Amino acid sequence: MARAGSRTTHRVTAAVAGLLLALATACGGSGGDAKSGDGGAKSLTMWTFKRTHLAALQQAAEKFRTSSGITVKVEAITPDDAFTAKIQSAAQTKNLPDVLEVHAGGEDFRIGGAGLLADLAGDFPASKLARFLPTTREAGLVTAERQRQITELKPAKVGNLFSVPFTAGTFGIVYANRQKMQAAGLDPATPPKTWEEFVDHLKATTKADPKQGGLSLGLKVSQTGYNWIYVQLAYAYLGKERYEALFGKGTTQGFASPDGVKTLELYGQLTPYWTPGATALGIDDADIAFAQGKSAFDVGGTFTLAFLSQNGMDPKNVLTFPIPPPTGGKISDLRLAPLALTGLSVTATTGDKDAAVKWVDFLTSPEGAGVFAKGSLDLPATDLGTQAEALIGSDLAALQKYFTGPPENTFDFAATSFRPPGFDDAKMGPALLKLSPLKESDPAQTGAQLDAVLAAMWKVSS
Amino acid sequence: MSATQPAAPSGRSTAPHDRGLRTRASGARRPASGGRDASEPGRRRRARWLTGYAFVAPAVVLFLVMGLYTIVYGFSLSFAKWNGFTADWEWVGVRNYLDLLYQDPTLGPDLRRAALNTLVVMIAVPLGTVAVALPLAVLLSSIQRLRGLLRSVYFLPYVTSGIAVYYAWRYVLEPEGPVNFLLRTTGLGSLARPQGFLADPATALPTLIVIMIWTAVPVATLLYLAGLQSINPNVLEAARIDGAGSVRTVRHIVWPLLRPITTAILLLGVRDSTQGFQIFLIMTDGGPAGHTDVVGLQAYHLAFFKGLSPTLGLASALGWMIFVAALLLALANGRTLRSTR
Repeated sequence: MARAGSRTTHRVTAAVAGLLLALATACGGSGGDAKSGDGGAKSLTMWTFKRTHLAALQQAAEKFRTSSGITVKVEAITPDDAFTAKIQSAAQTKNLPDVLEVHAGGEDFRIGGAGLLADLAGDFPASKLARFLPTTREAGLVTAERQRQITELKPAKVGNLFSVPFTAGTFGIVYANRQKMQAAGLDPATPPKTWEEFVDHLKATTKADPKQGGLSLGLKVSQTGYNWIYVQLAYAYLGKERYEALFGKGTTQGFASPDGVKTLELYGQLTPYWTPGATALGIDDADIAFAQGKSAFDVGGTFTLAFLSQNGMDPKNVLTFPIPPPTGGKISDLRLAPLALTGLSVTATTGDKDAAVKWVDFLTSPEGAGVFAKGSLDLPATDLGTQAEALIGSDLAALQKYFTGPPENTFDFAATSFRPPGFDDAKMGPALLKLSPLKESDPAQTGAQLDAVLAAMWKVSS
Repeated sequence: MSATQPAAPSGRSTAPHDRGLRTRASGARRPASGGRDASEPGRRRRARWLTGYAFVAPAVVLFLVMGLYTIVYGFSLSFAKWNGFTADWEWVGVRNYLDLLYQDPTLGPDLRRAALNTLVVMIAVPLGTVAVALPLAVLLSSIQRLRGLLRSVYFLPYVTSGIAVYYAWRYVLEPEGPVNFLLRTTGLGSLARPQGFLADPATALPTLIVIMIWTAVPVATLLYLAGLQSINPNVLEAARIDGAGSVRTVRHIVWPLLRPITTAILLLGVRDSTQGFQIFLIMTDGGPAGHTDVVGLQAYHLAFFKGLSPTLGLASALGWMIFVAALLLALANGRTLRSTR
């Protein structure tokens, strides 16, 4: 009898143990590091946060496999918060992939600072970095200034390279629907030269089509108005020095100063022309609205063309131009310096760093970058020089013309040393939204609110 | 083979069973009389305990891993600075809590605004749910025909609620969406919102509250229906004989008798309002310009929208502050309703 009871107990215990084992196995992840696949062939995994890059990366991977024999499995994880959570959990379980496409100039430093990224300085010496557009070359390099700005970089060494630039571009590119311009009596081949002309264009298209003739922008992400229109506008009006003075610590030349208020007044001129419901549109929603003909103008970055194209917008029907400078301002021909938008990083946990570096090297070579750019309609950070049009097509190459110009006329989004450390643009957005389109505050009140936000950031950083 | 095999399994299957029965029977007939026999009941009891514990073990282990561990982990995190990557946490004591409450000027204004919005939602959603669900339940319980069908119809929002429904609502509430169209075509154009209901600061939060009520009403109605069925019909009959009308019956008899259910509905509403943020994330992301920001959404933003800055500890601290606030409110709510019984 005792034996029978004991046997039952053993059986139950064994069953429970089996169940727990199965559970533990199910909970355990499968490694994402480099492995030898069938027949000893090498394989890598790569994660990107951009759905629009997936197909192009897969095309490039296929080409890479043919030339190197290394297979790369690319996975897109979107949206951004899901990507962040995925990296965080993978970092904990040591299941990071071999290669990551990350936001340049931020994510790479924070992940690298935690010791999760390989130092690529030896693999990409200065001679190799020369293949990139000049303003993007050092996007992933740890400098003393960056260590001061980003506390997570403290464990790293100056000179560490946590990413190489992959895509480049800039914000503040206006996309206009040529057909709608024509319907409004505007020349669809000529972009407005000044801010005032741009506002007149908006007035004309809105008059021609009150419901679908306005300006779309994903204002649900509150900082888009600030990052994609306001800063370029303010820089063009004030010039470099007076623009940077707006952000000064304890400054009297801040946003509530005459300079600041004037730029806010200019920005406020957009108020009647936003597409209805713009504050409830996400960035993708706004681009889709434009692609579907629900607005005449759309503001984005150089990367927006890819998304518009994927959503059915014919690039030939699009006229592009940077945010036009206001009349009477300091700069009459605004240029926008390209910055590295995304970078490629090799994880410190990769099982085959050499293979991963080879893949990164291929992707950033003129050949790989050309394949990627053609497939994604996104601009690579690799300087394609005179080959650009042949490699990436005329539509995309046309966007590059806004990158070059005299330094004093060029707005560099990546230049941030004049802002408080830990600057958070998401804090600037709501105040600007209250000015336009919500009309809840006037330019002077908005200036005061922005100054208060900046003062708080300076206080926290000190 | 067919001739010999059928007998064998039959014999094998019955023998152990019989043996078991016999063993058990003999054990019952012969009480322990010392030696090995004396320890048998104890062993049996231990075996039964072990069996019982083995059965509950998976649930306990799951709770320890998924519940207790995460609670302890989350609570510890609220005293640290961490971005989810570094090997070590930077312990900061109660600084995260102090930063959220008053110390960090970059956090305070947003948090105060979000807390105010949360308070509005916390009051409006539970009260609105009760205000709709109780009359609906009374009406549903008083009709005989189509009751089942109507119950199913009113339960639909609960069955279908979730992310897909929030996206559907966004479409419905757009500037050129069905709601504005309906208002304009029925002569109520003055009520239409040219910017849509979610982009207009005046209507964004009230609209979300209405949708939250719409989502909460089905369960509340079901709870009330169950409560109504448990009321002694004689009591209602007596009231009718005494001349009480429908409104008076509901007010003086049904409402007091359903107060425990109302308490539960209010508590559920408060919980959803303080901790739920999905609707805010999907439909407005706190906009326009923070007009629909709530503390749950703030915690989510702190955790996942700070460019991998080490703000997980802050997010966790905010989560715990929300928990404590919800707990205190629930206790106060329950006590108030009990005292008025």
